Amino acid sequence: MLHNVRDNYIISVKDHVSQFEEKSFRKLASNDFKSWPSPREETWRLSRLGVLSRKEITPITPNFKKQISSVSKFNGSKIIRFVDGAFREDLSSKLPPGSSLNILGEEDSLRCFHKFKDSNLKDHPSTNVSFSCTPSIVKLTIEKDVKIRDLFEIIYEGGDDDSSVHPALYIELKDKSSITIIERFNHLSSLIMPLQLVELKKNASINSLKIFNDNQHSYNLSANCTFLSEKSNYNSFSLIKGGLFTRSETHAYLKGENCNLNLNGVYLSSKNQHHDLTTAIYHDVPNCTSKQIVRGVLGGKSTGVFQGKVRVAPDAQKTDGQQMSKAILLSENAIANAKPELEIYADDVICAHGATVGEIEDDQLFYLKSRGISEKKAKQILITAFLKDIINESVTESMQNFVFEEAELALSEIISKEI
Amino acid sequence: MPLLEIKNAKLKLDDKDILKGLSLSVNSGEVHAIMGPNGSGKSTLSYMLAGRDGYELESGEVFLEGQSLSDMEADKRARSGLFLAFQYPVELPGVGGMSFLREAVNSRRKFLGEEELDHLAFVKEARKVASKMFVKDEMLKRAVNVGFSGGEKKRFEILQMAMLMPKVSILDETDSGLDVDALKIVSDGVNEQRNEENAIVVITHYQRLLDYIVPDFVHILSDGNIIKSGGPELALEVEKNGYVGLINAA
Ligand SMILES: Nc1ncnc2c1ncn2[C@@H]1O[C@H](COP(=O)(O)OP(=O)(O)OP(=O)(O)O)[C@@H](O)[C@H]1O
Ligand SMILES: [Mg+2]
Repeated sequence: MLHNVRDNYIISVKDHVSQFEEKSFRKLASNDFKSWPSPREETWRLSRLGVLSRKEITPITPNFKKQISSVSKFNGSKIIRFVDGAFREDLSSKLPPGSSLNILGEEDSLRCFHKFKDSNLKDHPSTNVSFSCTPSIVKLTIEKDVKIRDLFEIIYEGGDDDSSVHPALYIELKDKSSITIIERFNHLSSLIMPLQLVELKKNASINSLKIFNDNQHSYNLSANCTFLSEKSNYNSFSLIKGGLFTRSETHAYLKGENCNLNLNGVYLSSKNQHHDLTTAIYHDVPNCTSKQIVRGVLGGKSTGVFQGKVRVAPDAQKTDGQQMSKAILLSENAIANAKPELEIYADDVICAHGATVGEIEDDQLFYLKSRGISEKKAKQILITAFLKDIINESVTESMQNFVFEEAELALSEIISKEI
Repeated sequence: MPLLEIKNAKLKLDDKDILKGLSLSVNSGEVHAIMGPNGSGKSTLSYMLAGRDGYELESGEVFLEGQSLSDMEADKRARSGLFLAFQYPVELPGVGGMSFLREAVNSRRKFLGEEELDHLAFVKEARKVASKMFVKDEMLKRAVNVGFSGGEKKRFEILQMAMLMPKVSILDETDSGLDVDALKIVSDGVNEQRNEENAIVVITHYQRLLDYIVPDFVHILSDGNIIKSGGPELALEVEKNGYVGLINAA
């Protein structure tokens, strides 16, 4: 009997791990990769992966001699490079004192794997596939009390047509440490499955900026699992503009009191792109705050998805959870979906959510036009303002211009086609 | 030739007749006041003149300096010299006041064949006009109308008028929401722009404004039509007897 094309990728993942021992985390992970999620699964209903099961893709074998093409965008940043999903020490900066990068051994990798498997990312395809196929799990540690002043710039690139890449990064911030990290995804691969585990210990604080700008044929299925301890602070902003299909999924577990989480994002979509920001925030303890603001601008036949789940456990009194999403459609054929999901089991909480999808506001457009500003220019002004607003609110001041310029490039592409 | 001429304008909103054959002729150098009860169609008239989508005439015509406005979009009308001070100015989150003003002024200048102002020259000019209107520099840095008080919004409208130097200005209830001092400031701002080349149409409910901006003509708009026109004394009559007597007499 001919085996189904659908199984091809599953078989090549199993091939990839065939050399490892039965009890290795790779084998365990590959055992759990039985199929791509079906559109009947609630969290994959709006972002379907059917196409992947019909593609001929194999996990890449990293080429450690590959030429790199992405340059650093920041003077003096500390660069960490992943090429073909593999950490490249030879192409990375020497890190400042109090910070270190290590490749995890089998035991630590297994522990890391279990942290994912204990979370609600356990069935995410990237969890199982990337733990099976990653060249190695890389851990970035920031020691206790260390406040890193340098910007850490992590650049992911490489990959080939018909191959998948599997970078895996574990970031641990020990007590009272802090850092700002920008991650740039510039792959050429058909399929990109980045894994990230973030652990913030007491009073630790991270500013995280992600720019998804992979090749226009790529599928990026990013999975991020974050744990926050007491009084820690996770401030994250994602800009999704590249790829054919980019889904950034983040699950955050608020485990210690008085911690604070911001998970903001912008997607800019044109042509037949599909962009998805999926989040799940678990308020397990009292007195924490979380806030999500997501904005999208869509043209062409693109689709945008925001799925945001906030779960407040029965004990998590005095939780403040806010969620707001807004998408502007510039074309009749573009579609934006917003699916807020609140599960609140505590009674003394403030949780608010709102979602709007629409066009540019008529009265704003008319006001600008009534001042002699052309319709095209007026729309451009309003959309730019729409993005600037959230970028300025989400990103530290020194990075605002950079993020805005990155957004503007994609925006001008959308606008030039639509207005 | 009148600067602004409205001929037998009829307009429906949601199948409801709002303007019912209104005519008005405004010559350069003149100030006209339009008064009328709530819902009589004053703002509808001003939106129609400014070219808001959905406010197209069903029949009749409007001319600005002899040129028909029927096929002209709002932005082109504005560049040609028509200005509307909104009854309810619109908030533009994220759009900085200064860059907004500059974009507007340069659009108008380009139309007039004048050189566009560079950033520095523009900021200087804007500050000069702003100080006359007692608009603080700080307000120009903020997003347009966002968090402005009612009175601040109105002042900002007149500041825009001063910078755009329009041919015909329509001021839709610019006096409402202004305290006595602000009323004086705004009126002075308007009066300063009065000249023989332009014209102003003020829509108001209160005679008080007309003590400051003294009109050449006063019109009473009721139920989509001008039912009576006269000089400044007509406004005093409204103040004294209300609209009811006038409407019944018409
Ligand atoms: N979209 C609409 N559809 C139907 N009727 C409308 C619409 N917009 C306004 N109207 C009606 O048109 C009439 C005129 O409204 P308009 O705002 O022009 O009045 P106005 O004279 O400016 O009143 P005010 O003094 O209160 O400002 C009102 O009866 C109003 O309810
Ligand atoms: Mg009105």
